[in-house]
Amino acid sequence: VKALLNNSLLPMMRTQTVAGSQRRELILLSLFLVLIWGVTAMLSPRFLSIDNLTDILVQAAPLGFVVLGQMLVIVVRGLDLSVASIMATAAVLSIGANDSTISIVLLALAVGAIVGGVNGYLVAYRGVTPFLATLATMIVLQGIRFAYTKGAPGGSLPETFRWMATGSIGGIPVSLIVLAVVAVGIYWLLMRTKFGYQLRLFGDNPQSAYMTGAPVRKIQVIVFVLSGVLAALAGLFLVGYVGIVDNWTGQGYELDSIAAAVIGGAALRGGKGSVAGVLLATLILVSLFNIVVILGLSVEFQLVIKGLLIVLAAAVYLSKSRD
Amino acid sequence: MINTNQQSSSAWLGNLARAVRFETMHWVIIGLIFAVFALGSFGSERFATLTNIFNVQDQLVALAIIALAQTLVILSGGIDLSFAGLLGLLCVFFAGFNAQDGETLALAFAATLALGAFLGAINGAITAFIGVHPFIVTLGTSTILTGLALLHSSQPGGSVALFFEDVAYARLGGVPYGFIFVVLLYIFTAFMLWRSNFGIRLYAIGNNEAAAKVSGVPVKQTKVLVYMLSGLLASLAAIYMVGRFGVGDPRAGVGFDLRSITPVIVGGTLLAGGFGGVLGTALAVILLSLLANALNLMNVSSFYQWIIEGVIIICAVSVLVGRSKK
Repeated sequence: VKALLNNSLLPMMRTQTVAGSQRRELILLSLFLVLIWGVTAMLSPRFLSIDNLTDILVQAAPLGFVVLGQMLVIVVRGLDLSVASIMATAAVLSIGANDSTISIVLLALAVGAIVGGVNGYLVAYRGVTPFLATLATMIVLQGIRFAYTKGAPGGSLPETFRWMATGSIGGIPVSLIVLAVVAVGIYWLLMRTKFGYQLRLFGDNPQSAYMTGAPVRKIQVIVFVLSGVLAALAGLFLVGYVGIVDNWTGQGYELDSIAAAVIGGAALRGGKGSVAGVLLATLILVSLFNIVVILGLSVEFQLVIKGLLIVLAAAVYLSKSRD
Repeated sequence: MINTNQQSSSAWLGNLARAVRFETMHWVIIGLIFAVFALGSFGSERFATLTNIFNVQDQLVALAIIALAQTLVILSGGIDLSFAGLLGLLCVFFAGFNAQDGETLALAFAATLALGAFLGAINGAITAFIGVHPFIVTLGTSTILTGLALLHSSQPGGSVALFFEDVAYARLGGVPYGFIFVVLLYIFTAFMLWRSNFGIRLYAIGNNEAAAKVSGVPVKQTKVLVYMLSGLLASLAAIYMVGRFGVGDPRAGVGFDLRSITPVIVGGTLLAGGFGGVLGTALAVILLSLLANALNLMNVSSFYQWIIEGVIIICAVSVLVGRSKK
């Protein structure tokens, strides 16, 4: 009886919890991914080739970094609209300033951390709505970036970045290895550390987090810093993938990352988000783009499907969480 | 309960105060407008001329209408990010009628207004009845509508009767018709917020949705109505834009989603809802348009203008935060 309880009844009971609903969401997302991949594979045999699938994964990597940061911010009831601007600014400033790979990476990450710190300060210590704080930094960064480059970004992109974004080690793309390491790190931080516990508690209920003595302001700042650093990293990978530094690198990633986080099960009211879910959602979004191209549909279809998916996912999760 | 008349009249007065009362914030903006005026006159000879002022009035029409829509939605505690796609779709839709005579033009008008209201109502219905966060709903619909607008026509196309273009460019003693229309629209909306049940309910929901519900406010219907109005106003902006450009541009709305929020926030309306009004938005639209115009005439590159815009937002919200925390 005890074995039965442990093996089947307890897990069933647990499905009523947040973890349970997240597991259901993961299954839903996987099924959806299998569905769209399956349908496309039937229509175009080219789709399931190793090359194409690798392409999808490599393309998904930059968005994946951003989404992980965005998810953390959303868990603490925030929103980061500045990620795309951070991507471009970090890449443009660091590559414009010097040629050595190490210092470019360090400089870019520092830019991300500083901007994230400003966002976090405004939100946690000045009480500014995350939406407005990050909207303002987004616009300011845009101005700084263009003023610095005078419209035309300079500096040469070291070969290392090209390799980081498109190369592979033993057949596995480098960007995916880095993404996997970061994802595991974020998962560990979110689910296995005291910080992560306090972070989720804050998202669930800021008052009770405060009452239990969690450093609520520091938590918010750290989360925004993490989002900024991940965005800067994503900027470098995207620049490496595209091969050129552009003032509009990552344009649209702010809304795409929010979309992926929501489709992946993060709720804007806070307290909920899963690493696996948002990564699956990222893969779905990037796959959609690839599928539209492979099937020769007009690119605008992708927008329609993406929009429908955002609203549908949010509605479905909401009705599930009410049950 | 004994004297409902008295009660409702005091509610009216309270609402009048909320809708158009001069706040410290408004005086600050008026001061800033004067500062920008001084800066502009100092920096460029062309700034303080009547011609230029009328030009600014021309330029702010579309932004003013969209900011008005955003103000209503934000007052109710929501947010509408669908303008990017919505404006594009409505523009190509209206221009797609190729209205050359009065009759088709009237039809195009009616159909565009109806479509805008309908699409807005969808936003409202999903928000109110399913309970999805308006940020997500309108982000989704904006993406869908952008796709539909581009599927409809990937290039600016369609046309509109020449006499309608003339109206969009016409001026009454130098003042553009569009600006006069916007002023009337703002006065009408302020009046609506003040006198109508709808206006009172809007503030009640934005202030405290649960409390509004308990006191018998039809929360869901009011929300749908707000987003419907927002869509309706977007139609007006789209029609005006088509009149100005002569064609329907599927990308006409790009940037309007976030740009429409700045004047609302700078004007002192709280993003959380329930506090603020159209007066602040009107002043903020004037301030931002004058500032952009002055900086352009002084040959300040748009790069620095972005920095200034961002800093203005941060300053505005930092000023407001102290008050909302009370």
